[in-house]
Amino acid sequence: MVFIARTKSPEEWKAIASAISTLVDEATFEATAEGISFRGMDPSHIALIDIQWPNFAFERYECDTVVKFGVRIDEFSKLIKRADKKDALEITLGEDQRTLHIRISNGYKREYKMLLIESSASSTPLPKLSFNSKIVLTPGAFDKVLSDVQVVSEYISIDAKSSRVEFSGRGDSGDASIALESGSEGLEELAVQEESKATYSLDYLSKITKAISTAGGSVAVEFSSKMPLRLEFRIANVNRIHFYLAPRVQD
Amino acid sequence: MSSTQSVNDIKRQLEAEWIRFLGINSAKLHSTSLEGSSPPSVFVGRYGYPKVKVGPLLPPVHGDTSVFDKPEMWLGKGLEEILRYRLALVRGTITMKVDEKSRQLESLQDMTMSTRPAEGQAIFEKSPAAEIQALRKAELDSEVTPFGLSAPLKSFTFNTLAASDRRIENAYYDTDLTAAKAMVALYQQGVEVSRISKLLSIGMLGIKKDRKIVPTRWSISATDSTISAWLVREINNNQSIDSFEVSQFSHLGNYYSLVLIPDDIWSFEMLEIWIDKNGRTAIASEYEGPEGLNHPPSIAGAYFAARLAVVEHLVSRGRKASVLVIREIRPEYALPVGVWQIREGAREALRRQKRLFEDLGNALSFACLNMSVSKAEIISKIKAFSVKAKQAKITDFVNYSAD
Repeated sequence: MVFIARTKSPEEWKAIASAISTLVDEATFEATAEGISFRGMDPSHIALIDIQWPNFAFERYECDTVVKFGVRIDEFSKLIKRADKKDALEITLGEDQRTLHIRISNGYKREYKMLLIESSASSTPLPKLSFNSKIVLTPGAFDKVLSDVQVVSEYISIDAKSSRVEFSGRGDSGDASIALESGSEGLEELAVQEESKATYSLDYLSKITKAISTAGGSVAVEFSSKMPLRLEFRIANVNRIHFYLAPRVQD
Repeated sequence: MSSTQSVNDIKRQLEAEWIRFLGINSAKLHSTSLEGSSPPSVFVGRYGYPKVKVGPLLPPVHGDTSVFDKPEMWLGKGLEEILRYRLALVRGTITMKVDEKSRQLESLQDMTMSTRPAEGQAIFEKSPAAEIQALRKAELDSEVTPFGLSAPLKSFTFNTLAASDRRIENAYYDTDLTAAKAMVALYQQGVEVSRISKLLSIGMLGIKKDRKIVPTRWSISATDSTISAWLVREINNNQSIDSFEVSQFSHLGNYYSLVLIPDDIWSFEMLEIWIDKNGRTAIASEYEGPEGLNHPPSIAGAYFAARLAVVEHLVSRGRKASVLVIREIRPEYALPVGVWQIREGAREALRRQKRLFEDLGNALSFACLNMSVSKAEIISKIKAFSVKAKQAKITDFVNYSAD
């Protein structure tokens, strides 16, 4: 059994760990010859994260079988966070497959051995969806929209029309509404096949966005009326971080 | 005790009982020294925290007094009997800082570790005073079981030659084990919850430097909460139950209806209906989804006590469910006896024959049948239904096809 995953920087791992930590305490990664993946839902089954991290995105990647490794995500994060931006990070499994070895090096070499937890056997199927509207934003712009609505509401309604998208929320203290039009700062793309309107929990959206926004890149928001939403975080070197969120049934 | 008695009758009766006890034992109690057998039991007050009153509970009785402080043995007993045990316990107090390390604390810990009641002697600063006023004013649903006399201690000695409980010794001497892990380990080895909370209270559990004295009231909720939270994780991969199940039990003026709902996702809700002596009702509730509760429950320790009973039942069956506990508190519950009666009441309900239903509507109708408020009113207060009705699940869309 060979498993080595080396990256030039810990930033991708930090973003991934912090994204996963918004949903679960324990995570089981799967490594194959193609790369590393993770898929999991929060305990209420309202949100799902699907991560694909292909072998070519690593500085060095070797895996000659299917390896599953389970970690307590807060413990894993704590170790990863010891690495600075420019430190290379190498992850391997111990001989007995009961420990994860994390080597951090940039002149100064460190090695952590972390006890793995029993990985969960259950597999999570992806929802089958087609999306009628797509909004691409900078993570900063999206985070700002969410925060602006969150001061009055726990939910956000997204109303996408061909040249304009409106985000709104309503709470005991009042209403909030934010309109973005093609050309608005931070709005990179707006593509609407069919006008769409749906409402989602802000708690989930703002946690995941805050967790990943520091990694930069952009975020694509895709949805259809009264259907789940999908966030696609495009960060350098990770081919896919998808976050699915089921809609609120009523406002 | 018949429910036709008025609350005042019940209270008068309990008070008469109490005065009779004081009369019989007056010679023993009006002295500055007392000999007896501690169940074993300690009590830690919460006033003045972090300087609190700590001390042993000692009755003017020798021999096997275990029943005086073991709620696991009280099911089926009436209010008078339970209060008779409790009021017989004289509380000696020493003021300690919660992080105190002293010989006195160690000897209280030694006594708590004993498997059998500990014969002992207490010398008081002054003879114990009755807290009759406190009994009269006792508020409903205090978390703590009441007790009788109390006096500041000058000194005490216990014969703790009785064997210590090996399981408890192991937890006590493991100074690298967190209090939470120790509580769970003791529970898994079959140590009673009431015992575990006492160990926590007298500062015997946890990582060495973090060990602290914990007021009895807080230690009880901390124990129920910690153990049940751990059990909730245990049921995570279990299969759902198949039918809607209703279990019921009543004691001490408390009526319990537990509704277990087939669900792949655990949730827990407890509804409390209070009926005062004028027949007025008030309803309070608390709800948690599978992520647990992130604030203190509005209905306090009752919530965790019921959650423990429910989740240990599901663990023992290897099943999962979402659960609604309805508790009605009638005026006959004239005096609070402590949160144990919720834990033991719910456990007993779940031990009894349950009624099975094919749908939620019929299960709820049955569960609400003996309650003083209507099913419609109860349903209107249940948060779980509105939480679930308003939020779709991602798994609802797995087999969804756009055309």
